[in-house]
Amino acid sequence: MSNKKYWKGFDELQNDSEFKKSKKEEFAEELPITTALKREETVPSGRRDFLKVLGYSLTAATVAASCEIPVRKAIPYVVKPEEILPGIANYYASSFVNGNDYCSVLVKTREGRPIKIEGNKLSKITKGGTSARAQASVVSLYDNARLKFPKAGGKRITWPDFDNAVSRELGAVNKDIVILTDSIISPSTKKAIQAFKNRYSRTRVVTYDAVSKSGMLYANEKSFGERAIPSYSFDKADVIVSVDCDFLGSWVSPIEFAVDYAKTRKVDIDNTRMSQHFQFEPRVSITGANADYRRSIKPSEVGAVMVALYGQIVGGGGSANLKPAVAETVKKAALALNSAKGKSILVCGSNDPDAQMLCNAINSHLGNYGNTIDFSKAYTGFQGDDVKMQELVTQMNNNQIGAILINNVNPAYSYPQADSFIKGLQNVSLSISFSDREDETSEFVKYLAPDNHYLESWNDVEFKKGQLSLVQPTIAPLFDTRQMPETLLALSGNNFAFGSFIEDNWKGRLGGVDAWNKALHDGVFEASTGGFDESPMGSGNTFTGSAASAVTSLTNKAKVGGVELCLYENNTIGDGKYANNAFLQETPDPIAKICWDNYAIVSPKTADKNGWTDGSLMRSPTKGSDIISVTANGKTVELPITIQPGLQEDVIAVAVGYGRTKPGNENCTVGKNVYPLLAASGSALDFNISNVTVQRAGGGYKMAQTQTHHTIDDEREIINETTLDAYKAKPNSGNYTGQKYSDEHWVDHHFVSLYPGHDESLNQGHHWGMSVDLNTCIGCAACVVACSVENNVPIVGQLQVHRAKEMHWMRIDRYYSSHPETDPDFEHPEIAFQPMMCQHCDNAPCENVCPVNASNHSSEGLNQMAYNRCIGTRYCANNCPYKVRRFNWFDYTGTDSFYGNSILSNDEFSMADNLSRMVLNPDVTVRSRGVMEKCTFCVQNLQTAKLEAKKAGRPMKDGEAKTACQTGCPTNAIEFGDLNDSESAIYKKFRDPRAYDLLADIHVLSSVKYLTMIRNKDEIEGKTEIKEYKPKHHGDHGGGHGDGHGGHDGHGGDSHGADHGKKGGGHGKKGHDNHGADHGKDDGHGH
Amino acid sequence: MSNYASPVRDPLITGNKTYSDITEDIIGPVEKAPGLLFVLALMTSATVAGIGVCAILWTIWKGIGVWGENKTIGWAWDITNFVWWVGIGHAGTLISAILLLFRQKWRTGVNRSAEAMTIFAVVCAGIFPLIHMGRIWDAMFIFPYWPNTRGPLWPNFNSPLLWDVFAISTYLTVSLLFWYTGLVPDMATIRDRAKGFRRRIYSALSFGWQGTARQWQRFESISLVLAGISTPLVLSVHSVVSFDFATSVIPGWHTTIFPPYFVAGAIFSGFAMVLTLMLVARKIMHLEDYITLNHIESMNKVILMTGSIVGVAYLTELFMAWYSGSVYEQGAFYYRALGPYWWSYAAMMTCNVISPQIFWFKKMRRSIAVTFIMSIFINIGMWFERFVIIGTSLATDYIPSSWLYYQPTWVEIFIFFGTLGIFMTLFLIFCKFAPVVAVAEVKSILKTSGNQYLEKQREIDRATQPYYEGRSVSGGGAGSIAGAHKMKDKEN
Repeated sequence: MSNKKYWKGFDELQNDSEFKKSKKEEFAEELPITTALKREETVPSGRRDFLKVLGYSLTAATVAASCEIPVRKAIPYVVKPEEILPGIANYYASSFVNGNDYCSVLVKTREGRPIKIEGNKLSKITKGGTSARAQASVVSLYDNARLKFPKAGGKRITWPDFDNAVSRELGAVNKDIVILTDSIISPSTKKAIQAFKNRYSRTRVVTYDAVSKSGMLYANEKSFGERAIPSYSFDKADVIVSVDCDFLGSWVSPIEFAVDYAKTRKVDIDNTRMSQHFQFEPRVSITGANADYRRSIKPSEVGAVMVALYGQIVGGGGSANLKPAVAETVKKAALALNSAKGKSILVCGSNDPDAQMLCNAINSHLGNYGNTIDFSKAYTGFQGDDVKMQELVTQMNNNQIGAILINNVNPAYSYPQADSFIKGLQNVSLSISFSDREDETSEFVKYLAPDNHYLESWNDVEFKKGQLSLVQPTIAPLFDTRQMPETLLALSGNNFAFGSFIEDNWKGRLGGVDAWNKALHDGVFEASTGGFDESPMGSGNTFTGSAASAVTSLTNKAKVGGVELCLYENNTIGDGKYANNAFLQETPDPIAKICWDNYAIVSPKTADKNGWTDGSLMRSPTKGSDIISVTANGKTVELPITIQPGLQEDVIAVAVGYGRTKPGNENCTVGKNVYPLLAASGSALDFNISNVTVQRAGGGYKMAQTQTHHTIDDEREIINETTLDAYKAKPNSGNYTGQKYSDEHWVDHHFVSLYPGHDESLNQGHHWGMSVDLNTCIGCAACVVACSVENNVPIVGQLQVHRAKEMHWMRIDRYYSSHPETDPDFEHPEIAFQPMMCQHCDNAPCENVCPVNASNHSSEGLNQMAYNRCIGTRYCANNCPYKVRRFNWFDYTGTDSFYGNSILSNDEFSMADNLSRMVLNPDVTVRSRGVMEKCTFCVQNLQTAKLEAKKAGRPMKDGEAKTACQTGCPTNAIEFGDLNDSESAIYKKFRDPRAYDLLADIHVLSSVKYLTMIRNKDEIEGKTEIKEYKPKHHGDHGGGHGDGHGGHDGHGGDSHGADHGKKGGGHGKKGHDNHGADHGKDDGHGH
Repeated sequence: MSNYASPVRDPLITGNKTYSDITEDIIGPVEKAPGLLFVLALMTSATVAGIGVCAILWTIWKGIGVWGENKTIGWAWDITNFVWWVGIGHAGTLISAILLLFRQKWRTGVNRSAEAMTIFAVVCAGIFPLIHMGRIWDAMFIFPYWPNTRGPLWPNFNSPLLWDVFAISTYLTVSLLFWYTGLVPDMATIRDRAKGFRRRIYSALSFGWQGTARQWQRFESISLVLAGISTPLVLSVHSVVSFDFATSVIPGWHTTIFPPYFVAGAIFSGFAMVLTLMLVARKIMHLEDYITLNHIESMNKVILMTGSIVGVAYLTELFMAWYSGSVYEQGAFYYRALGPYWWSYAAMMTCNVISPQIFWFKKMRRSIAVTFIMSIFINIGMWFERFVIIGTSLATDYIPSSWLYYQPTWVEIFIFFGTLGIFMTLFLIFCKFAPVVAVAEVKSILKTSGNQYLEKQREIDRATQPYYEGRSVSGGGAGSIAGAHKMKDKEN
């Protein structure tokens, strides 16, 4: 190797440091730009500077973002009341009573606050059932619109001053004194009125019921000599025929009737007895929705149907001109009634004495009195007398009345000639109102003596003769109010506290303190004679009336024409008393699915004929409803329309009770008052009005509707239904879904899991499940309200419901079905209700999509929400096939960290004030804005029951844990329990051949099963095309499997059953015992 | 190495540009004071953006209830806008990454602004998943950060929404890097020409770029590496976005065709948006020599291709719904086409499938007016496509009792137009402060695709290869190229 070196220049050869340095640079001399930059000292910032800035800004942002929201503190008791254990609920037996509404209840209180109403199973009337109104009644206690003190001439006054002033004035009255009241069903109140009468001898009582049963009372008086409504035992009836009578929704005693009715509709393999129910009605009521045969008639045809029935059953009578479809069903109904003598009930809801007379005659002919209908247990309420009320108004206008005391009625709103009532009232020199709020009537009254809420009151109630119940306070009066009877006693010079007045009245009659305490504990007791009235109870079960004149008069009446109007009372707002109860306002009508409003219901044909539209989803989703003006008896009301099948052409149905101008909360001034449309003349108010004029008066009305209507053109297996005969022949008939998935091999092949063994953990411990019997769900919505109250579900208001942002965890879906060939105008559709809540899928689609694990599965099969984790992406709600998840769009309950974000544009109904927040259930988290929520299966109740069992060191028993919807349901359509307990009722229900999973196709493995609906009607052949809803007929496919599997449903085969059997072995089955432990406080007093 | 000039390749740079011309043409506008038109445009878009920001703040202050979404339709304009904006960004990535790998020289004229558009579109897109949250102040729950302050629970890695977070943030990061890497030499060019305060700013922005061979070598390497990373992103980002729907159980969402269909749709809408912007920028900033009709035609071809893919996807969906035998699937597509939202389906079909078919005609492809109108059409159509998928599938799903209609409120409308304002504002600011065409990259193809060089080359070719003579007659001839294009540009 040579040492020779090649070089290009001397620099390189010498290789000095200068050269080495410059060699590293690409360019021989410095670039001008670099020099320039160096001179300007704008040397590029280094990597380290960048990181410094980055680190600083990150830290600054973190510090700034970690501000805490203020903590609100709870203050403990200084002296703890003996009966109150923080965190433990106390139950007190009481009675919900408001006018003619009655329900025996248990009041759940927490730390001295009533927060929930449960049914009282000891009651022989309501038997543990509740209604939407009873459930929501607790909300009215915390109503900000309540009067907070007595007033004289609009100014605050003390009670002693009130007593002095009013007594002085009453003493000076030399004209009649009238107590204008709703039906009083409290014996002690009657006694207090008697005491008042004794002091002021010119006193008389006028009873006014806005929706009166006056016509029926009149007919009963003529027929039986009893001015009363007899009791009906629907549980004893095999055939029920109802003509325009909504006995499950709003007629006389709906809770009692629903409980009894359901007993005849609960069908299982061992008991296939089922009543047959015919309904003829001008509008669609929930009663009609449950009927086996429902026929729509015109309001004017009520009489004609009665005449026709009379002709068919008793014989004789005039000619009834009915449509063939109706006439045919009348014949069928008459045949059924005749074959069930003494075991049938015919009820008529009309206020027409003639129709009621025929009803009495027919029932009497059938031998129903004394069997299914009984005057010896007559209802004591419904004493409203339309004639006496008309007389009173005349007298007031003639200056014949010196003083008027108004109790729990609001004639300035509900009386058809309200103007004339108000004018008369202004003539009366002394007027007192006991109203709990400044309503339309009390505006014109001199003295306001506000009554307590029933949860703050003492009372006794005799809803039915001999069946008594007590009302006891569960909280001290929130405001400076006093009970009406106590005020009457004070005015008559007896300074009794009403509580001791009642105690004194009953202690002796019941036989001592112990018996009184027991009665108070139970809430109900029986008396041999009714109330304090020593006269024997009515026994007028013998018909002594005459039907002939009624037949003639009804035959004449039927010949009216024109558009007809049917006014009715719905099962939430009633006659208008509940207008300020936001929970009831937001409960959608069971059929129309509209809330916060009343509306003119018209049939599709009527709408088409007049060119009206109500903005159906498919045709004109943004159009809104047309508004029509309805003119009757010289008065006009403008109402939005809703198109509903099940009505005759040219019939319009409208609910009363809306259009209150002073209900309290301005959000509740919704709807239109239709009482003025009634004609206040004749013996009884007729709620069916003929010769009405209608005209389109506008459009684009925004209706708060929770279920849009539209035609479904495909075959979705959502409602599975069958007929009774088919069920008897094959228990899984009609259960298309169940049949399809009863083939285990098929299921195993098609529903392959990527995680084998994933579900097995659910076979250990508890696995909660629910079943809903579509046959006994009557659609009354008691469950909806019960759920909302129990779970602090926010009320959002009319506008937000219109925007479909309602929060109800539970809803009742309503579907129509009909046969286009026989019923082209949709006059007689069948209706199905389907309660819908979170299905707690074991394969839940909502869970895997949540990015933050807020929606997850518990080891007990519950699909649960961790509100704290939820960031509100709404992905889970989108991916829920049942659409049961609800998002907190706004801050409804004042839980937000953004204080004062309701200052601007408050579209939503807010319950953020301290008073209305008192009803919140402390066991249930109040959700903040921006989080998702949904049914939890009332997990708080499950936890309580589990803890009770744990404390007692025993396994949980079936029925110890109940959900709010289950306890609220009057018909026990909802069953809940542990699917791993083979002794439990739910275990059996899940294996019932009628049980099916909704949307079983998508294999979400829901924990809720529905039981097939059964209608007791003839098989309808050859009518396959059903327009509104069409179940898929899988007869050919399902037949084999169905028969083969007999007692098992599609889910659990034999092996499955045996599995569970082992685990449940230790559990002894025991009857439901909701009572003893619950309100075990023997003293039972509130405070 | 001699440059072989393909006789069928038209020049990509016209107007006899020299390197200096290019610098002057592109850097010039950045250095000049903003014109009246620019100021007006910026003020308008900033105002619109401001209104949008107010609407966003109102939503956060008051709650999601101020939107028209409801119990059944939990996503509507928010996620529609999100998917639409993400899709818009795709053209940038495709041009910078895939076309770079395929050595498509025509990309140099448009890649800078397309990449900028990607960034701004992703910024706009990113707004929606954030503000659609009910509790945006807890948005960090979605990140798997450590130390985990939330106990043993982590985000749900099964949720496609979480995948979205990763996909979009990766996409934004890579796009940002790619875009800025390309900008560095050009920033340095501005710096070199600037003085005073501007110089300090651009000096910081150019990261000490000196144009040394080593820097160029690293620049080339990093461009290639980033292109390699970006290429799968072009396909993956919108696939992941489509998983939000494809992995659900909702009929109309639950569709395996979604990933390719979404990617094609994204490229489709992205190119449309590039065209919308470029046609305006080209005119205003006089870049006709750099963004030629050839560029426009190339992009129109991509549009025709992807539009047809999307059209086939629509038809496939309909066929599958029928073929599946599932009532829910059939129902979803029946009501999608003929239900209450028929008009949005019709808008989608018209804008996305039917109207782009006119690009089969060369004349249409090369017409600036037609291209501009079509690009707007496609933007609208693709917005409707997302709305049809997201909104109308939810409107009519399994349980008919919950079927509903959705209408946006003014807040949602303002937010959407607000993001258009934000996008335009960012783009205008970008145009003013950075070269809208990649100077360095255009210079790199000048010698091979500049018209004067092509002409020279072809003259040499003609002299040495006599058989070449005949080709000039058929239109692609070298001699007339520059002149012909100048004439065409005048026509337009």
